[in-house]
Amino acid sequence: MTVLRDMRPVYVVGVGMHRYQFASDTNYIHMGLTALRAALKDAGLAFPDVESAFVGCTGIGMAAGRILFSHIGWTGLAVTQVENASASGSSAFQLACLEVASGRREVSLALGVDKFGDQVRAVAKEGVNKLSDTATIPLVKYALLAEYLKKEKGLTAEDLALVASKNHTNAADNPFAQFQKPRSVADVLASKPVMGDFTSLMCTPRGEGAAAAIVCSEQALKRLQINGIPVRVLSSTLESERPQVGREMGSVAVARSVAQRTYHEAGITADDLQVVELHDAFAIEELLYTETFGLCKTGEGHFWLRDGASRIGGQCAVNPSGGLIAQGHPLGPTGVGQIHEIVQQLRGQAGPRQQPDARVGMAHMIGLGTIAIAHVLRRD
Amino acid sequence: MELEKADLCAIGAGQGANGPVLTLRAGMCGACGQLHFPITAYGCPRCGAEPGRVAEQALDGRATLLSFATIHSRLSPLITPPCVVGEAEIAPGLIEEIMLAGDESQYADGMTVRAVGVEIARGGTAVLACRFEPAEAAP
Repeated sequence: MTVLRDMRPVYVVGVGMHRYQFASDTNYIHMGLTALRAALKDAGLAFPDVESAFVGCTGIGMAAGRILFSHIGWTGLAVTQVENASASGSSAFQLACLEVASGRREVSLALGVDKFGDQVRAVAKEGVNKLSDTATIPLVKYALLAEYLKKEKGLTAEDLALVASKNHTNAADNPFAQFQKPRSVADVLASKPVMGDFTSLMCTPRGEGAAAAIVCSEQALKRLQINGIPVRVLSSTLESERPQVGREMGSVAVARSVAQRTYHEAGITADDLQVVELHDAFAIEELLYTETFGLCKTGEGHFWLRDGASRIGGQCAVNPSGGLIAQGHPLGPTGVGQIHEIVQQLRGQAGPRQQPDARVGMAHMIGLGTIAIAHVLRRD
Repeated sequence: MELEKADLCAIGAGQGANGPVLTLRAGMCGACGQLHFPITAYGCPRCGAEPGRVAEQALDGRATLLSFATIHSRLSPLITPPCVVGEAEIAPGLIEEIMLAGDESQYADGMTVRAVGVEIARGGTAVLACRFEPAEAAP
């Protein structure tokens, strides 16, 4: 199998965002163009320099990208819409990277844009009932897993609240975050009960927004005289879930498998990572994934968290953007928003959220169904 | 009264505390010999065998409760909180999310639960919905 590092190098040269927000009257065109223009400005490029675009969205409808791009110039660029549930933006980024790595294009764009409310899940048309009316609600699965781990490993509600508190506090310094208010462990525990130990502030909000990332080849870096700090994409890995074995959820097993594969493809180990953006739709996920990614030992995620290893300034900053819990999770943009954060961190441009000496970072998303996708980026 | 999800379960023999005992409709694959739940029109989800290779196998509806928690918020229009949801092993290696009758005080991890048909209203019509309850009455 040919992997990204076997092909020609791909660099992220421009990133931009429209703030994530609760459902509003803001038009998706406005949000998408805001993120796109910010990414073009960041890269020092004009829209006609972009040769192809992959648009991640789940709830806007057919041909969202083509309508959007018609408001910034009819350049004839190749446009493909990408839907992969929560990982739509990540998959759009993957396709943009492969487009450049394969030599097909020199400059490609991943744009995630979404509105809340129109998403329809194919599982509702599967024609197969489930025993529980909640069987397709991810929150329920993770709350049940948290109950199991509470008894199995001594995980506490305070541990879940500590994850959320850390991420809300990170987001307080993030101008693109949906929530921008520091929250204490007590605040999180006192928020609305949802299920078991889960409270509302331990769960991602739904919302809308946009994020953009422009990738290019080494030749394009020179030809277009792009002078910013180049961030190279070392790996791009996607797998889907296998049947559950024992109590480990399929999404956790596939996250482990994808992490191991993406490390191998990138030629790194977990010890090389200084910053990670991961799928923390629910606080328990961050504890699980820090273990499955090898950032800490299996079964010790909550101790690693309590030690401050995942805080900004710790061993590896996890979700310095605020993650899905606090930066937000508008679906289409989420994975591209993670790339935005990793790139800012690796450039040393994350301001008060800067992880010191960040050189290698990973972005990881889960998509309903379940798929896991990961990208490793490095400052060259 | 009709079953709400007749593709998943059938009325069995006996009466539980909350309604008639239900059996569960699993599939046994003649190609790979693996059991799956539920049986569907699509074939074996394990090995991909055609539907004709899968035979229906009734499970007795008894399951080992692995974990459970109470839902406090209306996560779906189909549920009315508070309600209890759990995970249970309905056959060796087959773990399913289930809905439990009553409140969580009567449940414990590892206990045996059984499927029963509990009367609920769906769209103005009364139907029997599959819920699980303790298999043995409390002493």
